[in-house]
Amino acid sequence: MSDALLALLSGSVGSLAAWEATLRETTPLLITGLAVALAFRGGVWNIGAEGQLLAGALCATIVATRWCVDAPAWLLVPAVALAGAFGGALFGGIAGGLRAARGVSEVISTILLNFVAGSLVALAIQGPLQEAARAYPKSDPFPAAALLPSLGRVHVGLLVALALVWLAHVLVFRTAFGFRLRAVGLAPKAARFAGISPERIALTTLVLSGALAGLAGAFEVAGVTGQLYAGLSAGTGYTAIAVALLARLQPLWVIPSALLFGALEAGAAAMQREAGVPAVVTQIVQGAVILLAVGVSIGRRRARPRLDRASAEAG
Amino acid sequence: MLDDVSLDVASGEVLALLGENGAGKSTLMNVLCGLVKPDAGVLELGGERIDLAQWGPRAALAHAVGMVHQHSALVPALTVAENLRFGDPQAGLWFHPRAEQRAAEALSRRFGLEVPVGRRVEDLSPGQRQRAEILRALGRGARLLILDEPTAVLTPNEASALFSAVRRLCEAGRAVIFISHKLSEVEAVADRVTILRRGRVVASLAVRDLAARELGRLMLGRDLPPLARRAPPAPRSGEPALALQGLSTSGASEASRLRGLALEVFAGEIVGLVGIDGNGQRELEEVLAGVRRPSAGEVRVAGRRVALQPRALRRAGLAHLSGDRESAGLVRGMSLAQNFILKGSWDDRRFFRHGRIDQAAARRATQAAAQRFGIVPPDPDLDIALLSGGNAQKLAVARELDGEPAVLVAVNPTRGLDVGSARFVHEQLLARSAAGGAVLLLSTELDEVLALADRLLALVRGELREIEAGADRAAIGALLLGAGAG
Amino acid sequence: MEALIEAALRLAAPLLLAALGELVIERAGLIHIGIEGTMLTGAFVGFVVAVGTGSALTGVAAAACAGAGVGALFAAFTVLGRVDQIVVGTAVNLLALGATGAGSRALYGGAPPSAPTLGPLLPGPLAEVPWLGSLWFAQTAFLHAGLLLTLVIGLVLTRTRPGLQLRAVGESARAADSEGVSVPLVRCLAVLIGSSLAGIAGASLSLAQSDSFTEGMTAGRGFIALAIVIFGRWSSVGVLLASLFFGFVSALQFRLQARGSGIPYPVFLMFPYLVTLAVLALASGRARAPADLGRAYAREAS
Repeated sequence: MSDALLALLSGSVGSLAAWEATLRETTPLLITGLAVALAFRGGVWNIGAEGQLLAGALCATIVATRWCVDAPAWLLVPAVALAGAFGGALFGGIAGGLRAARGVSEVISTILLNFVAGSLVALAIQGPLQEAARAYPKSDPFPAAALLPSLGRVHVGLLVALALVWLAHVLVFRTAFGFRLRAVGLAPKAARFAGISPERIALTTLVLSGALAGLAGAFEVAGVTGQLYAGLSAGTGYTAIAVALLARLQPLWVIPSALLFGALEAGAAAMQREAGVPAVVTQIVQGAVILLAVGVSIGRRRARPRLDRASAEAG
Repeated sequence: MLDDVSLDVASGEVLALLGENGAGKSTLMNVLCGLVKPDAGVLELGGERIDLAQWGPRAALAHAVGMVHQHSALVPALTVAENLRFGDPQAGLWFHPRAEQRAAEALSRRFGLEVPVGRRVEDLSPGQRQRAEILRALGRGARLLILDEPTAVLTPNEASALFSAVRRLCEAGRAVIFISHKLSEVEAVADRVTILRRGRVVASLAVRDLAARELGRLMLGRDLPPLARRAPPAPRSGEPALALQGLSTSGASEASRLRGLALEVFAGEIVGLVGIDGNGQRELEEVLAGVRRPSAGEVRVAGRRVALQPRALRRAGLAHLSGDRESAGLVRGMSLAQNFILKGSWDDRRFFRHGRIDQAAARRATQAAAQRFGIVPPDPDLDIALLSGGNAQKLAVARELDGEPAVLVAVNPTRGLDVGSARFVHEQLLARSAAGGAVLLLSTELDEVLALADRLLALVRGELREIEAGADRAAIGALLLGAGAG
Repeated sequence: MEALIEAALRLAAPLLLAALGELVIERAGLIHIGIEGTMLTGAFVGFVVAVGTGSALTGVAAAACAGAGVGALFAAFTVLGRVDQIVVGTAVNLLALGATGAGSRALYGGAPPSAPTLGPLLPGPLAEVPWLGSLWFAQTAFLHAGLLLTLVIGLVLTRTRPGLQLRAVGESARAADSEGVSVPLVRCLAVLIGSSLAGIAGASLSLAQSDSFTEGMTAGRGFIALAIVIFGRWSSVGVLLASLFFGFVSALQFRLQARGSGIPYPVFLMFPYLVTLAVLALASGRARAPADLGRAYAREAS
C-alpha cells in the first residue's frame, strides 16, 4: 500500500520528468474541464466531452495526415487545432440540435454520441485513415509540421489552455452571453420570460463546449501521441466532469482542479508500472471526488436556511 | 412566522381565520395538518393532548384533520378515484378501478359534492378539483376540515354553493376552519372569527358582533386611505397603444384556448381583464410576454405589428409585470442588480456595451431604483432569493417601469403581496397610466380590477365579454360562471 | 427467421430487466443514469459469487444485492442529500467501472475463469420443438423473469395502493407528502428495487450471454435502457415492446455481421447507438414524463 502511494507521489511530483507527465495529463483536463463547467453553468448536462474530444482528434487527424500533409507549420498547426474544435463542435451541435428541435435530453444523446465517436475512430483507423503499412489499427504519424511546438515534454497546448481558462472566466462573468448562460442555468423559465431562449443557449453552449473538448482532442494527437489510435482517451471526458465539479464550475478554479487530477493520472500510471496497482483505480478516485464535492454542497445547504431567515427578518 | 398563536374551534362550528396576505394563516394551518413543525406549542384534538414531535401529515390524517390546500394537493396525472385512495391508511393493498370509482361516486352523492370521479384531475375545472379535495378529506372521516382560501379559484356562484356545503357539514357535526382575507365571505359562512396580523392573534370574536370597518382595522392594523383615483382618461383618439386582433392559441386545456381575441387599449387608460384561472389568462399572458406563439392573429403596439418575441415586444415599448416570480422573469441566485438588467442583455446600451456587462452602471441604477421604490434591503449585490416576496415584486415593478413603457401588461401583479406592498403596486399602475401609459391589467381578483380599471372585460373560456359600467358583483359573477361550470 | 427471433429475445432480456428497473425509479420521480454502472456491478459481483460458490443462481441473487447496494449509494445522495441526480449517476458509473475493473484484475489477473451459467429454462426434448422450443423453453430464465416482471410492475402501478403512491410521488411529490405518503421512503424503495433489477440484468450478461466477466462489458446497455423507458412512454408494456425492438435490432446487426457483408465491424458497433438516437428523436416530445421527474423534494421550511 505504501509502495503504491510512494509510486503515485514520485510519479506525479517527484521529479522533473514526473512534473512533465503531470502537466501533460493536466492540459486536456483543463480544456475539457472548462468545457463541462461552461455547459453545467448553463444547465446543460454535457456528459459527452469524451466523444467530442474523440471527434476533434479524428478531424485533426484527417487534416494532418490526409488533407494538408505538405502544408507549412504556421498553417498546419492552426488548421489542426481548428479542425479539432470543429469536430467537437459538430458532435456537441448534434446533441444541441436534437434538444432544440426534438426535445431529446442532452444527457442521453451526449452519452450515446460518446459511443458513436468511439466507433467512428475505430472505423477510421481500420479504414481510410489507417497507416500506410496497414499493419496496426492506427493512423499515419503526423507530419512534423503538424506537431505542436513543445518545451521539453510539455507542449504549447498548456499555454493555450491557460489562456482559455481566462477567456472562459471573462465570458461567464463579464459578457452578456455569460450573463444569459448563468440566468438560464439558474432559472430557465424565468429566463425565457426575460427574453432569453433556453433552447438557443443550450445549442450555443453545446457547440462551444464541444469545440473546447474537440480542441483538447486535437492537442492530444498533435501534442502528445502524434497519431490517432483507439485508446487515445482513457476517459478524459468523464474525468472532466469531476474536474469541473470539484472546481464548483468556476473557470479559474478549474486550474488547480485539473492539476490535481492530472497528477493523479500521471501518478496512477507510475503506480501501475512500479507497484502493479491497476490504473483503473483512478476512476474510483474520480467517482469518489465527485461524490465528495457534491457532499460538501449538502453540508453547505444545511447551513443556509438560518441565513435565509435572518435576512428575511432584516428585510 | 407565527408568534404565540392560540385558537380553538368546536364541533359543528365554522371558524373563520382572517388576515391579510402574509399574516401567517397558511403557516398556521400547515402546522395543523403536519406540513410545518412548530418551535413550541400545544395541540389538543377532541380533548387528547398531541405530541408535536410525532406530528406529521400522516398523524394529522389519523386524527381526522383534513386540509384543502389553496394550491391543489391532488396529483394531476391520477384520476379522482385514485387520488381519493392512494394515501388512505384504511384502504387495503389492492385498488380495483371500477369498484373504487363506484365507492367514490357514492361518497360524492352522500355529501352532495358533484365530481366526475373517473377522470384525471388535470382535466377538471378548478371548482371540480376543490370539490374532489373536500370529498377526499371527508371520505377519510375528517372531523376537522381546513379550507385554505377556498374561493380564490371559484366563481361567485361556485363559492355560494361551497358555502352551503360547508353549512351542511357543520350541521352534521363537523368542525370547519375557513381561511380567507375577504370580509364578505366571513360574514356569509362563519360563526366566529379569529384575526391574525403579522403572526399574532389580534382578535377573536363572534361574527354577529362584528362591524366590517372595525374588522378591517384589526386586520390591517391601520386605516388605509381609499386609493386616490386620478382624473378619468382623456377621450380616446388616434391609434390604440395596444391592439390585439383575432388572437387564437392552443391551450393547456380546452377551456383555456384563446378564441379570436380582439381588444384595444388606449394611452392613459387602464383596461381590466378579469377571469378565473384556467380561462386563457395564462395563455394571453404568455403571448404578450412573447413566449407562446399564437395559432392566428396579431398584436399591434401604437399601430405597428410586433413580432411576438420577448425582445421585439420590449423594443416596441411593451413591458410585462407578473405576480409569479418565474413569469416575472426574476432569477433566484442572481443579485438584485443582475435581475434589474436581466431583460436588457440584448439591447440595453446603459448596461451592455460591446457584449460586455457594465457592472458599476447596473449597481448604480439598481441602487437608485431601490431608493425610489423603497426596496429593502437596497443592496444591489444581494441575492434576490433573500428578499421578501413584496420586495422582489417591487424590484420587478421598478425594472418594468424603468423604461417608461408605452404599454404595461400587468398579470395578477399583487398576488401573494401584503396589503402595503399591493397598495404600492396599485399606485404605480395608476401613476403609469396618468403619465400616458396604456395599462392592461389581467387579474383573478375582482376587487383589484374594480378598484383600478377604467374599462372592464371578462375572459371566459378564451373569449372576451364586455362588462357594462356599473355592473354589480353578482352580475359579473354570472358572466364569469360561463367558465367553471363544466 | 426463427434463429433471428430467438436471438432478438435473448438479446432483449438484459435490456428489458434494466429498463424495467429504470422505469420503477423514474416513475418515482428520479432519473438514474447510473443504471449502466449498476448493471456492471451486478455483472461483476454475480460472476465472482457464481465462480466462488459454483452456483449461477446464487450469483444472480448476489448481483441483485450488489445492484441494491449501488442503489443505496445513489439514493443516499439524491433522495436524502437532494444532490443533482445526473451528477451522482455519473459518479456511480465511474465508481463502478473503476471498482469492477480493479476488482477483476486483482482477483483474476486479467484472465477470469469460466463461470457456471444459467442454462435454458427447460433443456431436453421440449427445447427442441420448432419455434416454441427455441423461443420459449430454450431461453434462459432472465427472459421469463423479465416478462413476468413486466406484468407484475404493470399491475402494481395501476392496481395496488403502493403503486399509486409511487406514481403520486413521481407526479407530484408535494401532493403525495400532504397525503401522508413518505416521499423519501417511496423514492428510496423504488431506487433499491429498480437497482436490484439492473443488477440482475448485469448478471444476465456474465452468467447467461457469456460465461465470463470483461471490463466494461455492459457497453452502454444501461444507457440504451434509459432510452427504452422514454421510447416505451413510461409504461411497462411500452418498455417491453421497446426492449424487443432493440433486441431485434441487435440480432439483425449480428446476423448481418456474421453474413460477412463486407461492412466494417465498427459500423456494427455504432449501430445500436445510432438507432437509439434516431428513435429518441422520433419518440421525444409526444411522450409525457412523470411531472416531478428529476426534481429533488424537500418540505418547505416554516
